[in-house]
Formats: sequence, structure tokens, C-alpha cells
Amino acid sequence: MNMAMQAGVKRGQRQVPPAFDYGLLGATLVLLLFGAVMVASASLAVADKTYGAPFHYLIRHGIALGLGLVAGLMASQVSMTQWERMGIWLYFLGLALLVLVLIPGVGRTANGATRWIPVGAFNLQSSEFMKLFMVIYISGYLVRRREEVSTSVWGFVKPMILLLVAAGLIMLQPDFGTTGVLMATALGMLFLGGVAVWQFVLLLGAAALSGVALVVSSPYRMERVTAFLDPFKDAFDSGYQLTQALIAFGRGGAFGVGLGNGIQKQFYLPEAHTDFLMAVIGEEFGLAGTLAVLLLFAYIVWRAFVIGAAAEKAKQRFSAYVAYGFGLWIGMQAFINIGVNLGLLPTKGLTLPFMSYGGNSIIVACMVVAILLRIDYETRSAGGRKRWRRG
Amino acid sequence: MARGTKKARRRSRVQVPQPRYALRRGVVGGVLLMAFFLLVGRAVERQVLERDFLQNEGQRRYLRTVEMPAHRGVIFDRHHEPLALTTPVESIWVNPKQLPRTAQAPLARALGVSVAHLRKVLARNGKRHFLYLERRAAPKRVGRVRKAVHDNKITGVHFEREYRRFYPAGEVTAHVIGFTNIDDHGQEGLELAYDDWLTGRAGAKRVLKDGSGRVVRDVESIRAPQPGKDLVTSIDRRLQYLAYRELKAAVEKHRARAGSAVILDVSTGEVLAMVNQPSYNPNARRSGRDGRFRNRAVTDVFEPGSTMKPLIMSAALEAGVIEPSTRIDTAPGRLEVGGHRVRDSHDYGVLTPAGIIEKSSNVGISKIALQLTPDVMWRVLSKVGFGVSTDSGFPGEVSGRLPYFDRWSRFGQATIAFGYGLSVTTLQLAAAYATIGADGVKRPVSLLKQLQAPRGREVLRRDVVRTVRGMMEKVVSAEGTAPRAAIPGYRVAGKTGTAKKITAHGYAKDRYLAIFAGVVPASRPRLAMAVMIDEPRAGQVYGGEVAAPVFAKVMAGALRLLNIPPDGVQGEGLRLASSGGKP
Repeated sequence: MNMAMQAGVKRGQRQVPPAFDYGLLGATLVLLLFGAVMVASASLAVADKTYGAPFHYLIRHGIALGLGLVAGLMASQVSMTQWERMGIWLYFLGLALLVLVLIPGVGRTANGATRWIPVGAFNLQSSEFMKLFMVIYISGYLVRRREEVSTSVWGFVKPMILLLVAAGLIMLQPDFGTTGVLMATALGMLFLGGVAVWQFVLLLGAAALSGVALVVSSPYRMERVTAFLDPFKDAFDSGYQLTQALIAFGRGGAFGVGLGNGIQKQFYLPEAHTDFLMAVIGEEFGLAGTLAVLLLFAYIVWRAFVIGAAAEKAKQRFSAYVAYGFGLWIGMQAFINIGVNLGLLPTKGLTLPFMSYGGNSIIVACMVVAILLRIDYETRSAGGRKRWRRG
Repeated sequence: MARGTKKARRRSRVQVPQPRYALRRGVVGGVLLMAFFLLVGRAVERQVLERDFLQNEGQRRYLRTVEMPAHRGVIFDRHHEPLALTTPVESIWVNPKQLPRTAQAPLARALGVSVAHLRKVLARNGKRHFLYLERRAAPKRVGRVRKAVHDNKITGVHFEREYRRFYPAGEVTAHVIGFTNIDDHGQEGLELAYDDWLTGRAGAKRVLKDGSGRVVRDVESIRAPQPGKDLVTSIDRRLQYLAYRELKAAVEKHRARAGSAVILDVSTGEVLAMVNQPSYNPNARRSGRDGRFRNRAVTDVFEPGSTMKPLIMSAALEAGVIEPSTRIDTAPGRLEVGGHRVRDSHDYGVLTPAGIIEKSSNVGISKIALQLTPDVMWRVLSKVGFGVSTDSGFPGEVSGRLPYFDRWSRFGQATIAFGYGLSVTTLQLAAAYATIGADGVKRPVSLLKQLQAPRGREVLRRDVVRTVRGMMEKVVSAEGTAPRAAIPGYRVAGKTGTAKKITAHGYAKDRYLAIFAGVVPASRPRLAMAVMIDEPRAGQVYGGEVAAPVFAKVMAGALRLLNIPPDGVQGEGLRLASSGGKP
């Protein structure tokens, strides 16, 4: 057991109850449980038809939740100092995993994308872990090179290179959604870390230009990007999945058709239990369910930022950036996923954190919350005993 | 690294003012808040504002109108035993595109066809997504295919619930009941005659279907299915079996071409049994080769021969041209009429009317008939139903032929008296004898069970008919033409008929129809039966030898089944029994 925990135990004896972000923990558990219920609802019929076992997905989801709990507990045992020290090595570990996936014979392919490394019965998705490692690495970098980041271009370009290498590897899988979340999270962190505004403007401008050039140069890309604007125009081809998701939301109305009564999940809406879980929630619980999920995510993101701000106030900059990074990541991924479901963004495959079926996503999300709780805990401890972190 | 971090932190505290980062945090927080409200706005838009449009789009995709099949009515016998009913069966179909090659061998085995055949059929329909392997398959076959599909994990084979008509009595009731086609419409028999009554009207309902086409929920009923109405026939299944068994045995024994038998209830006019040979299995019919599908009892006519004699006798007694005691000289066994000759097989000498019936003398009956004016004779025959279709309503029923009296020659009138020159159906003959059994009251023939006996119409005088019935009882005596029609314990009144068959070259010398018609019990008749056997070719040809035993066996069984008390004197019954055993 490390020292931090020992300190915690001592503290716990003196001060009852221990200071702890129960709100964050509660919101996370609600999302995890509600997610499991919705995965069950969305997957029973499909699993029965595909595997002849209605609980095929639900059982695996349950195992993922158990693993997530264990991973979270383990992550909470690691002090922020240790995370900070491991930062660069974690980045290279993540990079190694991304390369490993692309080696033929090692990586596992499904639905045209190579994303998984089989480890026994478990399939490791390296990009999920890369997001976690990247946040930790960039936080460490921002703390180490604080001055350089805010004053020189080089301080911005260096982490960008490492980021682009990772992003490039993920693009090769290919996984555009994860690439987007990773880039947006890292850029957001760099912005918060003090990178000059003009550099951002330049970067975003260049990115926008290249994006436009890419889309305009090949009409099919244009079509794919704009298909989401009017999915009913081509409802049985490019707009199929989105129209089915939108119909699900429309069917739900204000209060939904009731748990288990959804139609769209019954072989109309593909990937209902993964990327389009939100549509199933929208159908079965209506606007009320959609808003509840949105509020829970907003609450979690808000807590992450509050925890980050408190850590910054307590002069724990690394912890603060990690918390901001996690907040951005969860918020971004939830936004993109729900935005895709609602037809606000082009259709891209991305899981809804805490809720969608997918072991890696669940495990990493649990670790994220565990680390956030750890930061909160450490900040409160530091508030009580100023210099304990050094000791 | 730790040192570097420490240094950097210290510097930043000094050089960079705190508020700038708070502002940036505010910007990021604002962007996230905006994203949040964007999602909320979009969710409201989708789930409240566009709700009707989206729900309508959804309904276009999974709201479907499906037909609810309505069952065809059941056909029952008079005791509510089913004779035709609709049962659920399964059809086996395949999506040739989904069927793997390796599945062909086990599938062919289960279907009972060769692999090569299955392969050929599949290759011919390779571009289709739907192909029936077997429609309305037998349950056993379905079970085998289901097992093969399960054991070999075959994909692309499906089962579809359908309905098919099933006839529990098979060939026994085949002609009366008829059959339906693949669309469940009557093609023959009562299935055709009462098609509208039996046919249900399919209902319709709106359902939700899932993405794979399965119904997941009923939404509303558009039209309730109206099942077809049941039909209770007059047939008594037990008598039908009995008649069929005996007729089939006789046709086989005498190597006959065909045969028909009809049993009528004397007091109601109901058809209790109507059987024919050859028959077919309506559950697995192939083709109507050699007229197997024909209900000969109503579609085929023949010259009734001597079975006409009791009716002529009734007409003569009624007209008063003879008395029961009148003596008629039939010697020398032949009679010249209008240049033609009427013959008897023996010279019977002087006979009473009863003797003419008993011995079946053509000369005697001709002499009696020629004393009647043609119009009187015609009227009597027409009134008992010859030349007129019965009221059975059976599809394809023919009326037979009774030439109008103004075209009768004297010889023609004489031949009609012993059953030539007119044609009847077995059903008409049975109906005429039922009238004799009912003391001259003619009731409409019915294939449906009657709730109460129809009133009927008196077409023959009661006392005359009773007298003639008494004469007919002599036919089954040891001295009569049909001792083998006798039934121990019961009095039987009947008449044999042996008619030469007519061919393209006139009457054939060696081709006969063997006929017997009668009523039991003679004292108060309950049942009338007519048996016709077409072209017995095993030596015996006479009605008394070929048709009479069928009558006796069937009626003996029927009387027992219907609990009709014996009316025969004990001693006489025994005597008849012993005489009945002689060839």
C-alpha cells in the first residue's frame, strides 16, 4: 500500500466521514447501471437472433463492469505523483500498443477496422487506453514546460508531433471518431495550458482549410459528410442508420414508449447497443430520458472541472490538467456520440462513455472516474495538510 | 524530471498571471455549455417538434397490414363426426442465396429427394430469395427437415404456417364431400356446392413488424376474420363405411367396372350414405383418371331394368286396370308387341301380380302396362321422380331421361315397364324406392341433416303401395329372384334388376348392370337402398346374385346400428336365413 493511502487511513480515523466526491461517484454509478439496463434492452433481440443466446451481450457487459470496478480500484491506488512520473512511459506504452494492433496476425479485425489485440478471452482496444495515457502525458508536459508552452512555438509543436503520431496510428485502424476525440481533448488541454491564441487560430484555420479541401476534392466524401443534414433524402442507403435513430427519438416523444417497448432496436437500428444506445434511450424514455442522460454527463464534466480548479488552487497543476483533460474527453465523446445520434454531426462510430456496450470503453471510463476521485481526495488532503504531497 | 517540474511551477507562479487561465477555463466551459444546449435543443426538436413527422416515417417502415386467415367451415356427418376439416400444416421454403452447399446433402435426405434433384432445382432458382421446397408438407416430413436444419445448423431454410383441408374418412366419403384446391375453394362435391357457406372471409389487422419482418405487436384490427360456417350433412359415417366396404368388396369380387350405392332415410328423405367405386384418396389425390372423381350415384345414368316393375304395378293397381287377384297368363314366355318380342327367361304360365314381381316376368308386366294409357303411366313415373333432377343440390347431378308419353310406341311402353328406354341415377332409384317405403309419400332428397322431416307429397296411393310392398317381399323368398337379399329377423321388400348394357351397336349380349333396390323393415320401412354394379365380369351377372348380397349385408348392419327392432316372424326369419345361404 502506498503512502497516500496510509495517510488517508490515518485521516479517516480522525475525520468522519471522509471527504469524498459522492456526487461524481453517484452520477457515474447511475450512468453505468442505466447503461447496463439499456444495453440489455437494446441487445436481447439481436443477440437472440445472432447467437441464439439473448444474454450474449448483457453477460459480457456485466463482466466488463466487474473488470471496470477492479481497474478503477487499482487506478485509485496510484498517487498523482506516480502518474506524473509515469507520463512519458505511458505514452510510449500506448504507442507500442497502437503499433502492435497494426501488425498483421496480432490485431483483430471486425467490421473493417483493426482495433483489438486479443489477450486471452479479452480483446484489448489500444486506442481507448491511448486516450487515457495521452491526457496524463500532456498534463505532465504542460507542468514541466509551462513557460515554453506559453512563450515559444516549439513548446506547442513538440507535443503536437507526439499527438499527431498517435492520431495517425489510430487513423490507420481506421477510427476517425476516436482520433477526433483524442485531438480535441489534447488541443483543449494545450489551450488551457497556456498556448498562445494565435497559434490555435492558425492551427484550427489550417485544419478547417485542409478539411474543406479534402471534402471538395472527392464528391463521395462530401456526400458522406452532408448525408446527415438530410438523412431522409437517401433513407435506405447512406442515411439508413441515422433515419432509424431519428425515428427512435421521434417515437419516444416526451416520455417514451417504456423500457423494452422500443421497436427500432428490433433489427431496424444497427449498432443499437453500442454507438446508437442513445437512440434506444430516446425511444424508450423519451425526451425525459434524453435530458436526464445529458444532465448526468454535464454534471460529471462539471465535477471534473470543479475538481481540476480546486487542484489548481491547491497548486497541484498536474492533477488539475488531468482533471480538465478527463472532463474534456468525457464531455467531447458524449457530445459527439449524442450529437451523431441526434443528427447534429456526421455519422461516426463512437461509444457513449459509461453506457455503451464495449469492455474497453467501460474499463477506461471507470479508471477516469477513479482518478478524478483520487485527485479530489488528494486535493482535500492537501488543503488540510499543505505539504504532505512532498513527504 | 522532478526538479524540472518544480522549477517550472515556481516560474509560472511568478510570471503568468492567474486570471488568464481562469478566462480560458471559462471559454472551454462556455463551449462545453454551448454543446450541452445544442444537444438539448436538438433533442427537443427531434422529440417534440419533429415528433409527428418522425413517427409517421417510422410507421411507414414497420406498420403493416396483414391478413388473418379465416378457417373454412367443418363438414360433419349427422352425428357431428368431422368429414372435412382444416388443419394447420407447414410449408418448407428456402432462400437459395443463403443455403450453403454443404447443407444440400442433409437437406435432400430429410426431404426425401436426391441430392442431384435438389441441386438442379436450386440452380434453376439461384437468383431468387424465395423458393418452396414443399408446400403443405406432412408433419413427419417437417419434423425430419427441422431436425436436419437444427443438427447441421443449416441457414436459409424456413417454415411457413399454412392450412390444408383434411378428410378423415378419406376415400370412403371422397365423392360426397369432394375437395378443395390449393386456394381453399371447393372443386367437387359438397365442398363445391356449399363453397360460399363454408368459405370464411379473411380478416385484416395492422401490426408492428420488426426489422426482420416478424410481427412484434398488434396495433388494431381492421376487419375481424369471419370463419366459414360449419355444414352438418345427412351422412351417417358408420353407414357410409359399411356401404363402402361392401360395395368395394363386391366390385372386386365380381371384377366389375364400377358401382354405386345410396341409402336414404325413408321418413325424412335424407341421404345416409352415398358411395361409389372406383374411389380416390382426397388427402393425396393425383389425377381423376378413369373417372375416379365422379360421384357416379348422381352423375351417371343407367337403364333401371326390372327395378321399375313395382312402380308399374302400383300405377296399374291405382288405375284399377288390375286387382291383386287378377290372373295373367305369361305363357309361352314371350309376347309379340308391335313387331318386337318381349321375353321371359322361363315360361311361368299363369301368374298373379305378386307372382310377376316375384319371378320378374317381363311378359306379365308388359301385359299389365299395355292396359294403361301412356299418359297415366308417364304421370306416375314422373311423379316418383324419373326424368327430374332430385333436390340434392349436388354439383353435376343429372336428371336422367324419361321420354314424354306422346312419343311412346306400344313396344316402347312395354319396354319402359321392365326398365328399358328410360335412364335413371342410383339416387333417383333409391328415392323412388323411398317413396314406396313411405307409403307413397315423396319427400325431397337432402344431403344436409334435416331438423324436422319435410311434409312430402303423396304421389302414390297408400293402400296400393302397401300391397305392392307385400308383393316385393316375395322377391327375397326362396322362390323369388333374390333370396340372397333376405336379412334374418327382418322383413325385406325389394326388387332385382339385370339390365343389358347399351353400346354403340345396340344392346350388348354379355355386358350387364346388376341392380337391387329395396326397403327395410318391410312392415314399417325406415331405410331405402339402391345398389348398382356396372359390368360384373366374374361369371355372375344377375342383380339377385351380384347386387342383392350387398344390400343384405349393408342393411343388416345398418338395422343393427340404428337399433331398428326386427319385424320378421322368428320361424320365417330362420327359414329365410337358411335359404339365403344357398347360391
